[in-house]
Amino acid sequence: MNHKVKKSLFGLGRTFLLVFFLLLVILPIYWMCITSFKPHKEIINAQEITYFPKEFSMGNYVELFKLYDYRRMLFNSFIVSAGTGLCVTLLSIFGGYGLARYKFKGKDTMLLFFLVTQMIPGILVIIPLYVIFSRIGLVNTRLGLFIYYMITNLPYCVITMRSFFERIPYTLEEAAYVDGCSKMTGLVRIVLPVMFPGIVAVFVFAFIGAWNELIAGTIFINTADLWTVPVGLKSLIGKYDVKWGVLMAGGFCALLPTAIMFAFMQKYVVEGLTAGAVKE
Amino acid sequence: MGILALYLIGIAALCGAGVFYISRHFRRQNSSVMSHIQRRKREPYLFLFPTLLLLVLMFAYPLINSSIMAFQYYKLTAPDKVYFNGLDNFRKLFADSDVWLIIRNSLLYVVASVAGQFVLGLTLALTLKKPFPLKGLYHAIVFLPWAFSAFVIGLIQRWSFNGEYGVINNLLMKLNMISEKVAWLGTPGLSLFVVIIAMIWMGVPFFAIMILAAMQSIPADVYEASYIDGCGPLRRFFRITFPYIQPTIIVTVLLRTIWIFNSFDLIVVITNGGPANYSQTLPSYMYTKAFSGYDFGLASSLGVMLMAVLVVYVTLFLRVTQYNKAGDF
Repeated sequence: MNHKVKKSLFGLGRTFLLVFFLLLVILPIYWMCITSFKPHKEIINAQEITYFPKEFSMGNYVELFKLYDYRRMLFNSFIVSAGTGLCVTLLSIFGGYGLARYKFKGKDTMLLFFLVTQMIPGILVIIPLYVIFSRIGLVNTRLGLFIYYMITNLPYCVITMRSFFERIPYTLEEAAYVDGCSKMTGLVRIVLPVMFPGIVAVFVFAFIGAWNELIAGTIFINTADLWTVPVGLKSLIGKYDVKWGVLMAGGFCALLPTAIMFAFMQKYVVEGLTAGAVKE
Repeated sequence: MGILALYLIGIAALCGAGVFYISRHFRRQNSSVMSHIQRRKREPYLFLFPTLLLLVLMFAYPLINSSIMAFQYYKLTAPDKVYFNGLDNFRKLFADSDVWLIIRNSLLYVVASVAGQFVLGLTLALTLKKPFPLKGLYHAIVFLPWAFSAFVIGLIQRWSFNGEYGVINNLLMKLNMISEKVAWLGTPGLSLFVVIIAMIWMGVPFFAIMILAAMQSIPADVYEASYIDGCGPLRRFFRITFPYIQPTIIVTVLLRTIWIFNSFDLIVVITNGGPANYSQTLPSYMYTKAFSGYDFGLASSLGVMLMAVLVVYVTLFLRVTQYNKAGDF
């Protein structure tokens, strides 16, 4: 009897916690979503705060796309993030393979270097990089931003890729080489197909890392037609007047691509996050 | 669209060049005179060359540059008037009476955020351990904040804690916990608290993912044995689960500590350091100094001090996790 009561109490507590965490995630998103569909008058009515819009309005979204050229921001963000994602994935396949399959002089130093890059605050690099970029004309270009995102995402992705390679037995490749397969063909035909989860995870890391970044964007980009989504939206926060409806609409649209990506690739992403971190 | 085309061609060219140069190496090996061993020695460097080149040019070199700038009078607004000024920047830094407030803020921000993320992350991982219906969907939703941008999270937070129209004030008043509206973002002490809440919210999934993975690698027979021996759940947690996941927890906590310390986009979005530096941390202060006054010399001197602290931290990190020996994150 006592045991049964205990067990059902445990179950109840667990259900409670599950609901708690679910609400913790959903409520802020709900609030953002609902605010974005309220007309401006309803948003800034301090007397009565509505938990569901009295009047559904697409006005904020119309304003966002018509007045602030949100499409342009999405486009810029997409170009920079996709470029970062592709290049980082490619380079980390090579780098990860090199680190996983060989023993060589300087390997430990290299790994340490990669680890240290993860620990240095971005702003420490951004300041001198700004000086360098302004000398070679990379300030206020998407290329400059792309380069910065490359260097910030590469080390982590190389390390992650390495752990994925280490899980694949070398004998798999070796068999192919014995059969007369060249190194490159072996890598492309045999190893990469098995590596699919790792490749997806690394691409998602780099893409999301670039898509979500704000600080470097505000520093490196200063003309409106090159703004990425976070930079463009930040410009809507004025000193006295903040267009909350439009901001929430923009924020909601900015979350959608990463949320969808994460929802579909969740398995691989989780695998990737833990691949680098948990010793087997 | 012309620029876009050029840009895409540029990226493609970069990637193409990388593939070409690596593949050339391997194509050559069939007809090469080099011995197999010599070739194999060169291969890892070839594989890592592009990554290293980029990191050295765009990461290491700027860092060295910035440590030189720390000892210079360097204002971006007067690029012709750059000269060495010894320790002037450091003196100016400590003459600022806010520095101690900012150091205190940084500590509070890091400790509170890490503690909150750890406690909630561990709780979430423990609740997710046993299967339940719709587990996949639940995971996808609960882990979502990992993929969210700090910027948007900051926006939601700032809007929810808005003093006049914010939903938090409204809720608290309905629950009779406060009698009048609180100016969350305008009150010293409270504004940093709002940032910390957002930071915790953002980091719980990462902690949960890590701990969950570690728990899944615990062999099942250990648990079976404990059931047979009549071990209670609390004891099971402290005697089996916790010791097994301890290494993961240590690595995750140490890495998170440094990431949280470094990240300040939430601060920029939610409070912008205000009111009067009461929610400023060291990196965000550095950002403000560098890009409001364009005093790069002063900002770099702050950076050099951060680096000194980081060196100590990294050394400790390596000792504790034995990263060198394990060779893994």
